[in-house]
Amino acid sequence: MVKQLSIRILVLLVGVVVMNYLYTLFFFQKDLVKYSPEILEVWKQQKRADVLYFAESSNINVRDTDAVKLTISELTDQLVHKYHIGAINKPATHAGIYKKWIQKMDPTHLPEAIIVTMNLRSFGADWRHSDLESALQSSVVMLGPYPALANRFLLALNAFDNQTAAQREQEMLNEWATTTFNFPFNVPYPTVRTWDDALANGSFLKPDGSWDMEKITLACHYVKSYAFQMKPENPRLNDFDEIVAYCQARHIKLIFNLLAENTEYAQQYVGKELVQIMRYNRDFLVQRYGRQKGVTVVDNLELLNGLDYSDQNWTTEHYGYDGRLKIAKNIAKALH
Amino acid sequence: MLFNSLEYLFFLPIVVGLYYLLAPCWRWILIFISSCAFYMAFIPKYILVLFAIILIDYSAAIWMEKLIGGKKKMLLLVSLSANIGILAFFKYFGFANQTLIDLFALFGKEFKHYDLGIILPIGLSFHTFQSMSYTIEVYRGVQKAEKHLGYFANYVLFFPQMVAGPIERYATLGSELRKVNPFEYAAMRDGFRLVLLGFVVKMVVADQLAPFVNQVYANPSGYNSLQIGLAMVFFSFQIYADFFGYSLIAQGSARLLGIRIMDNFRTPYFSKNVAEFWRRWHISLSTWFRDYLYIPLGGNRVKWARWALNTLMVFGISGLWHGANWTFIVWGLLHGFFLILERPLQRYQTTIGTFLLVTFAWVFFRAPDFTSAIQLFKGLIDLSTEGPKWMDYLTPIGALSLMLVLDWSYRKKRFDLMLAEIHVRLRWAIYFVLLFLLLAFSGTQKFTFIYFQF
Repeated sequence: MVKQLSIRILVLLVGVVVMNYLYTLFFFQKDLVKYSPEILEVWKQQKRADVLYFAESSNINVRDTDAVKLTISELTDQLVHKYHIGAINKPATHAGIYKKWIQKMDPTHLPEAIIVTMNLRSFGADWRHSDLESALQSSVVMLGPYPALANRFLLALNAFDNQTAAQREQEMLNEWATTTFNFPFNVPYPTVRTWDDALANGSFLKPDGSWDMEKITLACHYVKSYAFQMKPENPRLNDFDEIVAYCQARHIKLIFNLLAENTEYAQQYVGKELVQIMRYNRDFLVQRYGRQKGVTVVDNLELLNGLDYSDQNWTTEHYGYDGRLKIAKNIAKALH
Repeated sequence: MLFNSLEYLFFLPIVVGLYYLLAPCWRWILIFISSCAFYMAFIPKYILVLFAIILIDYSAAIWMEKLIGGKKKMLLLVSLSANIGILAFFKYFGFANQTLIDLFALFGKEFKHYDLGIILPIGLSFHTFQSMSYTIEVYRGVQKAEKHLGYFANYVLFFPQMVAGPIERYATLGSELRKVNPFEYAAMRDGFRLVLLGFVVKMVVADQLAPFVNQVYANPSGYNSLQIGLAMVFFSFQIYADFFGYSLIAQGSARLLGIRIMDNFRTPYFSKNVAEFWRRWHISLSTWFRDYLYIPLGGNRVKWARWALNTLMVFGISGLWHGANWTFIVWGLLHGFFLILERPLQRYQTTIGTFLLVTFAWVFFRAPDFTSAIQLFKGLIDLSTEGPKWMDYLTPIGALSLMLVLDWSYRKKRFDLMLAEIHVRLRWAIYFVLLFLLLAFSGTQKFTFIYFQF
């Protein structure tokens, strides 16, 4: 029986190898178009660009009233004559996804430099437990380290971080409620939850004495987006570390584009302590990557004024033309 | 834990491996622990509900054996009430409350809305019915009460069939669980075949049909008659593939442990009338209702009017068993009406006609409410041609064709038995084709088994 079984297992293994070959030959490309189209864009850009720019919506959105609607990467491309820059953008993306794209680049056309958007908010609980995360994670299953056919089956089994929106929300709420701040300066509340509660309970009043819900909502959102303490165990850091390791092993110049955040409004709506937290987290990243790991970190955190942001009532990194140009100039300097 | 998950693909071989490594006297403990682990992967605390059912019915059966007459009957009623009470609390409380709210509103009055905030324990209808069949059989004196709590617990908990059946009788599953099964190549081979086919039917057919069906049922007004008609037909095959796939994986998983569980389907869409359909669709539930409700109500040996009423009652309850919504009751009643009406029309019965009737009834089963169901039927006469192109249906049509091929080949003999009779090269070619379809063409959205919600 052992011989019988061994022969069958061997035949099965050979069959699976052949199946994988056939799948790669005839179906893999179509599935990539369907499930992981971004990697095709990466491969396309690799062939025509010297520098790859990875970004989320900050490199997609422009202000409606802008006369020039070029994105940050397009403006940088115009400023830097030495290189041609190709961009790969996807809303809500973060280093965990950029990492998969970068690791799956075509090794025969490696770029001279890679610019990775470093969005401060993407380190916070709000973004890490976003309900968009499952969709993002499913989009990189096909890029997994296994044979193509195995990756396809893992996608069918939903073998990725596929929590429901409710589960993610619960994790986020738990983190806000239980993670206490331990900054070397004073903050008015020990957790995001208590801070958020305090702001929600009538921090802004209208002249008639009623609550100004628009301002309260925005203030609360600033706290939820930025009031977190960067710690070595933050999973995003691990993602950025892997990007650094990949690029260093292949001698690719790496630039982290730390995006501008609306510190002016953060101070206005919440207070200087929140800006202090943002600066603390920025310093942590600059120290870790700029000084310790030799990565060029373009620090745009406090580069822009409040009015440079397209969304005046939300905490997005969407900039008007002036804002995009200022950031592009900073990146261009780093590339030279 | 879902069958169509990576966890199960690790869980099953581990359980099977340990099962044959263990001495037979310890195997019931392994099945008990693995079944608990399987169930607790959903909502862990609900295992207590199952434990309650097990303890109540185990104790009731033992006491019943010692009693006679009224006391015995009283004990049966206590056991049945406990099971039905648990089912009613978790499954029908919200439905009853909403029905009362609607009824009061008809008379311009208000009835308080109670939200218990509970989620229905997965497969509750299945294990309560399975457990109830045991106490009824013991009451009737057909079945001896099981003295070993572990074996009885395994009868209710057995992981391959605990969440969506087949609803087994103690006489068959109980003795299968007690059997000393040596490791046999034939059991492995048959189990593998059934599991493979089950995965293909679920993941390649049902999960590829589901997205289109879901889109149309979510927004009937956005689709024309052709698309709505296709969605209705697709759903008929989706639910079949979904439940049949589950049943095959359940059978295959059990077979890998040397345990046989019953066939729940026999190519139901090849039935020539609705009565035959119910002899071939969800067989374990049909026979449950036949043995414990239809026959006690008088079966066929009553006057026509009584028989018709009984038929409607059985199918109405069957509809309610499926879901706590009036749409399910209407679905059940429709089948009751079909059965009553088809009796005098036997010479006009055809496979296609039966399929269309069943498909018509499925609309009420699938639609979230009557408004949507009516909207779908209205949409059937919208002859505009706007909407997705034919290319958009290629995947579901491919999945449906595959199901037809599989069902056609299945209509005379079960797949695993049919495979045993063909030449080894052709058999392996079929394995590879099925495996390739599974690996390369499974649906990529997560769809739990439809019957898990019952």
